[in-house]
Amino acid sequence: MSDKQTDAKKSTGEAAKTEPDAPKDGAGTSKGGAGGTPLHGLIAEYETPGALLSASKKVRDAGFKNWDTYTPFPVHGIDGAMGIKPTVLPWIVLGAGLTGLATGILLQWWTNTYDYPYLTSGKPMWSLPAHVPVMFELMVLFSAITALVAMLALNGLPEYSHPLDLKKYFARATDDRFFLVIQASDPRFAEDETWKLLEGTHPTAVDRLEEDRVTPANMPRPLVFGLVLVVLGALVPFALIARARVSTSEKPRIHIIPDMDFQEKFKSQRMNPVFEDKRAMRPELEGTVAVGALEDDDHLYRGKLGDEWAREFPAQIPISDSTMKRGQQEFGVFCAPCHGQVGHGDGMVNERAVELAQGTWVPASDVTQEYLRKQPVGELFNTITHGIRNMPPYGPQISPEDRWAIVLYVRALQRSRGATIQDVPEADRGSLK
Amino acid sequence: MAEKVSTDDNIRLDDLAPKVFRIAGVIGVAALGVAGVLGASAGDQLNQFLHSYLVAYMWALSIGLGALWWVTLQHLVNAKWSVVVRRIGELLAANMPLLAILALPIIVPMLMGNTSLYHWLDQAHVAHDEVLSHKKPYLNIGFFMVRAVFYFVFWAVLSRYFFKRSLKQDESGSPEFIARMNRVSAPGMIFFGITVTFAAFDFVMSTEAHWFSTIFGVYYFAGCVVSVHAVLALVLFYLQGQGRLKNSVSVHHYHDIGKMLFAFVVFWAYIGFSQYMLYWYANIPEETVFFKVRIGGDWFYLAWFLVIGHFVVPFFGLMSRHVKRSRFWLGFWAVWMLVAHYVDLYWIIMPTMHAERVSFGLVDITSLIGLASLLIAGTAYNARRVNLIPTKDPRLAKSLAFENY
Repeated sequence: MSDKQTDAKKSTGEAAKTEPDAPKDGAGTSKGGAGGTPLHGLIAEYETPGALLSASKKVRDAGFKNWDTYTPFPVHGIDGAMGIKPTVLPWIVLGAGLTGLATGILLQWWTNTYDYPYLTSGKPMWSLPAHVPVMFELMVLFSAITALVAMLALNGLPEYSHPLDLKKYFARATDDRFFLVIQASDPRFAEDETWKLLEGTHPTAVDRLEEDRVTPANMPRPLVFGLVLVVLGALVPFALIARARVSTSEKPRIHIIPDMDFQEKFKSQRMNPVFEDKRAMRPELEGTVAVGALEDDDHLYRGKLGDEWAREFPAQIPISDSTMKRGQQEFGVFCAPCHGQVGHGDGMVNERAVELAQGTWVPASDVTQEYLRKQPVGELFNTITHGIRNMPPYGPQISPEDRWAIVLYVRALQRSRGATIQDVPEADRGSLK
Repeated sequence: MAEKVSTDDNIRLDDLAPKVFRIAGVIGVAALGVAGVLGASAGDQLNQFLHSYLVAYMWALSIGLGALWWVTLQHLVNAKWSVVVRRIGELLAANMPLLAILALPIIVPMLMGNTSLYHWLDQAHVAHDEVLSHKKPYLNIGFFMVRAVFYFVFWAVLSRYFFKRSLKQDESGSPEFIARMNRVSAPGMIFFGITVTFAAFDFVMSTEAHWFSTIFGVYYFAGCVVSVHAVLALVLFYLQGQGRLKNSVSVHHYHDIGKMLFAFVVFWAYIGFSQYMLYWYANIPEETVFFKVRIGGDWFYLAWFLVIGHFVVPFFGLMSRHVKRSRFWLGFWAVWMLVAHYVDLYWIIMPTMHAERVSFGLVDITSLIGLASLLIAGTAYNARRVNLIPTKDPRLAKSLAFENY
């Protein structure tokens, strides 16, 4: 828009203007220029938007490029009259909106799912419905800020000084006058001809517009200094955060929201004066069953068929590779510490207890021994559930399905103990030799 | 300028109105007849028919209600751009008495003791149902009928008021009518909001009588506004194709209709998601039951169709100004949104009957064709002797000269 490198030749040597701050009454009464001040362009003033529109069309058709109009309000049709091409702003805003959307997704994935997984309300770590509001807000935020900043940038704003600032009458562009400025930088600009062209558009006045030599070209130092201070001040919180991340402190943390940090609620294992027995944790009501805790399948939950121990696995437990692998894994976690990795009763806990010889230790059984091989699977399941001798019950820790998987794995260990070559599938026998 | 228009442009339907009325009327009556016969012969106590009819009816009603809202809004904000289009909205909204009559196939079986559609009508069932017996002061046949009559009377009176005043102004040209309609539109809008909300509760939400959602009325309203802008665009395309309003309605008006369509596609998604997210987050069985059924079985695919087809795809599709200014693309998205809105209502209402399977059948299609045709016939009937533009509206010149960027 502004071009400080205006060709100065045109205005040199012209007569000084008598009234630099008032438009001429009627067009072209004087076109003197201040000696030595380069010409920025010519300005014409109109009384109505209609006059401005028709003037714009003439200037457009004359082939000018570096020119603009100034109006107190958006004038319908001015875009077409000036021949303004559609702006790229919507594409920039679309890009910013999509960036905001992606930022919202990444931010929440990184903070809540990846870097610091934090369970909220029992929802999955990655819960799209909970993330949508932030995605939406960031999309709007990025779009809105970009729309403003890009609009200013595309218009070359903010501008510290402009030749129009020197024309007092130009203030009426915010009130009741319409202006048109053709810049001297336009290749078609020739002062006399352009002046005539503008005169022919029925303006109320035409005026020369000189380059601004009154206002300093650069920003005043105090303003620059103040802006730098603001920018530096904005960095202080980030510096404090960075410092806090790498240092330790002995001061107790600040409780910004005390009633969230110290909530008036009863925690488990604490006293609650409301109830007669003073327990905060409430026992189950007599005659009730929690949702999903009915366990009315004797075979699956207790390993029993009628009064007998079940000799078959329950229908809910598939005899498959995946059940076997699960059983192996759970055996390794819960059983192997005492019974050993292959169940010979030589786990590390057992070895150590025997070594201490305190007299209270009943050695862990070899799960592959004869009498256990003959035991029905239901009874093995029952042993895992309720424990035996000094083996504690594992029912509360291991789900019924996993306990059955362990039984399946124990059966595999038992079979492998006395295995012969006949137990290996024919295709695999070669690999053993 | 107003005089210039009436001579320059063809603003009367003339013989087109009775032609459209006859064709659409015959198709409509025949299709509804087929739907009724198929429904009655199914021997399921009209279960399928009532559900299919309710879906199609709420779809047709949403166009009428959307039009009524739109006309009220134009008066409320003293809109200038829309004056050349407003009569079309008035004609659509003036179908309210017809829509009241078309509600009878739902209401009459209720009065005759049919409980297929609304289980809360079944007294024996309610007696054993803790939740429904508490809801009885609201959900009972007497109060329901009182409310229904109130809704339809209010809608009919308001829509006919705007229509008649606007026609009177065509004759006298007095700007006084504009001021009066402007005054009526404010309380009209308030009562419109209340009646639409409760009508959506009564006719749709109570099919799932245990469930409740305070935002449900707004959700239905969003669908109303989406469909009316789609219909406005399509009606204008049709009229201009028939040589009407060719010099009055320009690409600038289409652009604004497109903007509103785009805005309310987003609004629908905003409301739909707000409803979903709160229930998803709280995860309380009595609230999530609605979605549990509607994302189970085949309905899962319809639910995703709504997310993609009622929001994501049209959102990007309608975003560009070039699309809103293109007859083909605006028409394409208008049809698309009307279909998506039907799927939306189908997805809301039908799972109460078919919990797992989507069984879209002949009764659904004939009900939809029947109600859509009767709506077209009713609009043509309303338009038979009127100008398609409010010729004496003082803002007409501004609307004709309207430009959009």
